[in-house]
Amino acid sequence: MREPTFLVLTALTDGPKHGYGIIRDVAELSDGRVKLLPGTLYAALDRLVAQGLVEHVRDDVIDGRMRRYYSLTGNGLRVLQAETARLRQLAGAAEARLRALKPRLT
Amino acid sequence: MSSLERRYRRLLLCYPRAYRRARADEIVGTLLELAPTGRTRPTLREAVDLVCQGMRARLGRPASRSVAVWAGLTAVLCGLFAGAIGSRVGWETARPLPSEAEARALFANAVPGHQINGIQLDQGLFSVMGRELTWTDFGYLLGLDSDLHQTSAAVGFAGGNPPVEHQQTLRTAQERLRAAGWDLHPVMSLDVDGCAICPQPSPPNRFKMSATREDSILTLELNSPQPGSGYLSIHLTRATPWTVYPAGIGIGLLGFAFGWMMFGWASRRTEGRRAVQNLAAIPYALAMLVWLAIAASGLSEKITWHIKRPRPGWDPAWEWLGLPDSLLFFHFGSVCALFALALAALPRWGARPSRQGALA
Repeated sequence: MREPTFLVLTALTDGPKHGYGIIRDVAELSDGRVKLLPGTLYAALDRLVAQGLVEHVRDDVIDGRMRRYYSLTGNGLRVLQAETARLRQLAGAAEARLRALKPRLT
Repeated sequence: MSSLERRYRRLLLCYPRAYRRARADEIVGTLLELAPTGRTRPTLREAVDLVCQGMRARLGRPASRSVAVWAGLTAVLCGLFAGAIGSRVGWETARPLPSEAEARALFANAVPGHQINGIQLDQGLFSVMGRELTWTDFGYLLGLDSDLHQTSAAVGFAGGNPPVEHQQTLRTAQERLRAAGWDLHPVMSLDVDGCAICPQPSPPNRFKMSATREDSILTLELNSPQPGSGYLSIHLTRATPWTVYPAGIGIGLLGFAFGWMMFGWASRRTEGRRAVQNLAAIPYALAMLVWLAIAASGLSEKITWHIKRPRPGWDPAWEWLGLPDSLLFFHFGSVCALFALALAALPRWGARPSRQGALA
């Protein structure tokens, strides 16, 4: 799973969000490193909807602007949990190796 | 509607109509919320992103990651070959070759004192064995006969023993051509195969010089006198007319868009029909392989040719794609591509036709 996809799924874990909300959340989650452009975000959402990981839940019109809300599906949650476990395992392995390396460097 | 919103909506024209109907308000809303106050134009990043994602959306099948790669390959190859056709159309604006009398006078002025025995003048700018190519030349057009000449020339030869040293002939030609308003290119010495960058015999005995004036390219080649062949040949050809570039680029871009859209259409048509998809993949893969192979071989051959034999101007675009030498293989690839499209066009038996949704 690519990083932007992981971040979009993560952004949707605390409830349905619209496109603008997802972009802001992704920027916050990545400390401003990942700044999604709307064209890219909606292409990713289309793909995630087609894969059954995300679903469109409702529409709102606020200040004359259309807002469509997306939410994680049960399958999307399972995939995100599996990916998080995989990344945790990789990060843990890398940390262990780095800890072992540290005494030799000092 | 603000000017920024109008510009965003204009960029959204890259998306399919059904997609725009369903999603334009949502996307524009997000873009406007992200835009700082006072901005009147989309940023370059936003514009490029919307154009690229719009083109991607036109392919459909949002869950597929490989569809854009294959569509890109198809579009690039279609664009290159269409561009070559476009450049050929552009060549129609080139002036015809001079008459035999004009060519004789020009040659006599450039190399005085040399007996130009015969002037060969091809009929038309593109010819088959010296005569103009017509639609009745099916053998050539189908690629069955590879002896197809391209940009034609008026050619003069001089035989026997040269009246003066080659260096003297070159100096005289340079002086007279410069006086007649020609731009001169450096004189090159060639090896026996005509290569200018290969190890040369000592002392050099084969020389080549070129000159350009307006839309004409004149090339003079001097060789050691050999029985049965001349020691001097002089060629006059037409330079690439400027119309070739806009015609080639314009028709090439249309070909790119056509290839992209056709792949998207065939991909959507075969979605969910595993048997048709597998069947159509065979002729499609064959078409791509053959087209890629002839374009790659043409390109590598031309690069080598141009490095070894520098000259003013470039060879026609289609020669860089291996045409017309590989015309027969090109036709084979085209038939395979059409067959793949025909398979994709097969109706879905037993399924109710449905219109593709914006999110499908």
